[in-house]
Amino acid sequence: MRRTALIPLAVFLAAMVFCGASASAQGSAPRGRKPTIVLLMKSLANEFFLTMEDGARRYWDAHRQDFDLLLRGIKDERDVEQQIQIVDQMIAQGVDAIVIAPADSKALVPACARARSNGIVVVNIDNKLDDTVLKSKGLRVPFVGPDNSRGAEAVGRFLAAHLRKGDKVSIIEGIPTALNAIERTRGFTNAMTLGGMNVVSVQTGLWEMDKASTVAAAMLTEYPDLKAILCGNDSMALGAVSAVKAAGRREVRVVGFDNISAVHVMLKKGTILATADQHADLIAVTGIEYALQALRTGIQPPDTETPVDLVTP
Amino acid sequence: MKRSPGLAAAVNAAQMTAVLAGIIVLFSLYSRNFISLKTFQSIANQIPSMLVIAVGMTFVLLIAGIDLSVGSVMALCGTVLSVALVDWHWGVLPAVLVCIAAGAFCGLVNGLITAWWAIPSFIVTLGMLEMARGGAYLMTASRTKYIGSSIDVISEPLVLGISLAFLAALLVVAVGQLILNRTVLGRYIVGIGTSEETMRLSGIDSRPIKIAVFVFLGLLVAVASIFQCSRLEAADPNAGSGLELRVIAAVVIGGTSPLGGRGSVLTTFLGVLILSSLEYGLDQIGATDPVKRLITGAVIISAVILDLYRKRFRAA
Repeated sequence: MRRTALIPLAVFLAAMVFCGASASAQGSAPRGRKPTIVLLMKSLANEFFLTMEDGARRYWDAHRQDFDLLLRGIKDERDVEQQIQIVDQMIAQGVDAIVIAPADSKALVPACARARSNGIVVVNIDNKLDDTVLKSKGLRVPFVGPDNSRGAEAVGRFLAAHLRKGDKVSIIEGIPTALNAIERTRGFTNAMTLGGMNVVSVQTGLWEMDKASTVAAAMLTEYPDLKAILCGNDSMALGAVSAVKAAGRREVRVVGFDNISAVHVMLKKGTILATADQHADLIAVTGIEYALQALRTGIQPPDTETPVDLVTP
Repeated sequence: MKRSPGLAAAVNAAQMTAVLAGIIVLFSLYSRNFISLKTFQSIANQIPSMLVIAVGMTFVLLIAGIDLSVGSVMALCGTVLSVALVDWHWGVLPAVLVCIAAGAFCGLVNGLITAWWAIPSFIVTLGMLEMARGGAYLMTASRTKYIGSSIDVISEPLVLGISLAFLAALLVVAVGQLILNRTVLGRYIVGIGTSEETMRLSGIDSRPIKIAVFVFLGLLVAVASIFQCSRLEAADPNAGSGLELRVIAAVVIGGTSPLGGRGSVLTTFLGVLILSSLEYGLDQIGATDPVKRLITGAVIISAVILDLYRKRFRAA
């Protein structure tokens, strides 16, 4: 019995030795070979990252001779642990560059620092790593990504043009600990304050359609004169639209963020007034180009802001 | 002194109605428009999905099982429905049928494995939770699918905000209660939860009954997904994450024992009402997410403690 238990252990050890050998072989490959870049995203169950993955793949198809691309994602948006593990795995595999959309702007910094001390180029995309933590590690990582707050403000301003001063509006935000959720709420609030609207309620819909629908229904009941609901993403906007419809309050305007395919019909019908497109594919491509440039020149490129476009019918 | 089970159930239901009334009074003090037809309509519009799943879950808890896969299976059924309607251009009836078949199939797999190999349903349904979610992502390529208004008649208010979905959910509650109280099957289900060994010794094979209970829940989960898609006009592959815990909480608040053998569909209905009024009220007064979680969690624990005292009172 005891002896049979040793077999898997032996296999495991043999595998480890084998992997170690192949990893070191990769690490000492001659110069001039194709570099390997890994694009490490958040949850691939999220349409935003699927668009990002598609964009990266298309770019790679056109530049296969220049580099090898590995695409990685985590199961759950909040699974920070798993993302750190993948970074360590990539360090062990000896990749040349990591282009990362961190699941947490603070917790991923040590892993990125480890990658850098192993001579790996790190480019930060989408969600910016925390400046103070980076500084404490003595690290500078180039950032490529959108300004969520500015995008949300553009959506908010477009909405404001359809409202009057003093109108009551409410905000359904994403998970309140996520930086992009905070930024979008800030942008929405700025636009509403500038337009003279009255933000009567800010609550989380946890990025989810059904939860947002419940929250929106409660807001509509509590404020019979509510004029608009601003949602931190399009899924939540779809939920808000269903609540507006159920309450028979079609005068209430709904705006979203992300421009997912499911809202295209809603935009055309006018049930959703506007949304924003962050061009996830462009973010990924720019990140990869940055990594290639840094690999070629050995110089870190500066931060870049990628565009966020207002989308209206 | 021995009390009749009918009386005990009535006392139980009366206590829970009092809790529900308490919640309503409390929220009406803190918000402006809680006691209104609108509130009632919104809650009636939202609970059908959760209610039908809770009825099925009551039966699963009664046989001392648990089903953690309901949220994922609901997402899977919804995506099957949406793909059938939108991509395959099927009619409403065949699309609804294939959706229900998907739910029943997941329930059948859960039930078969649980009953045949006597594996704890906790583990089996945990596996199903992952597989069904994976299936939902595969069906839609992880994208929210817009369905449009082809099935929205189900959740359209008929009169006073009451929709077909709400009426159907009430029917499910009634049928569930009848099965539990008035049929031999219902007695067997309680028997399995109380002592499976005794059932076996009396020559009753519990396996087909267990399988039937899981299939029944699977069917109801599919029905819930139809209600949800009809209300939201879209199928979200991320739908229902964490739903299993809310449903189990509602059923337990309703006084059904998570250890099996004791429970009622009618009080599950009250449990769902209590949990959704609580959630809705907290949304309406604009409570922040941490506060909502603190209060909801405290209510769940208090309900279980209360239930313990009720049980002692009954045993005395």
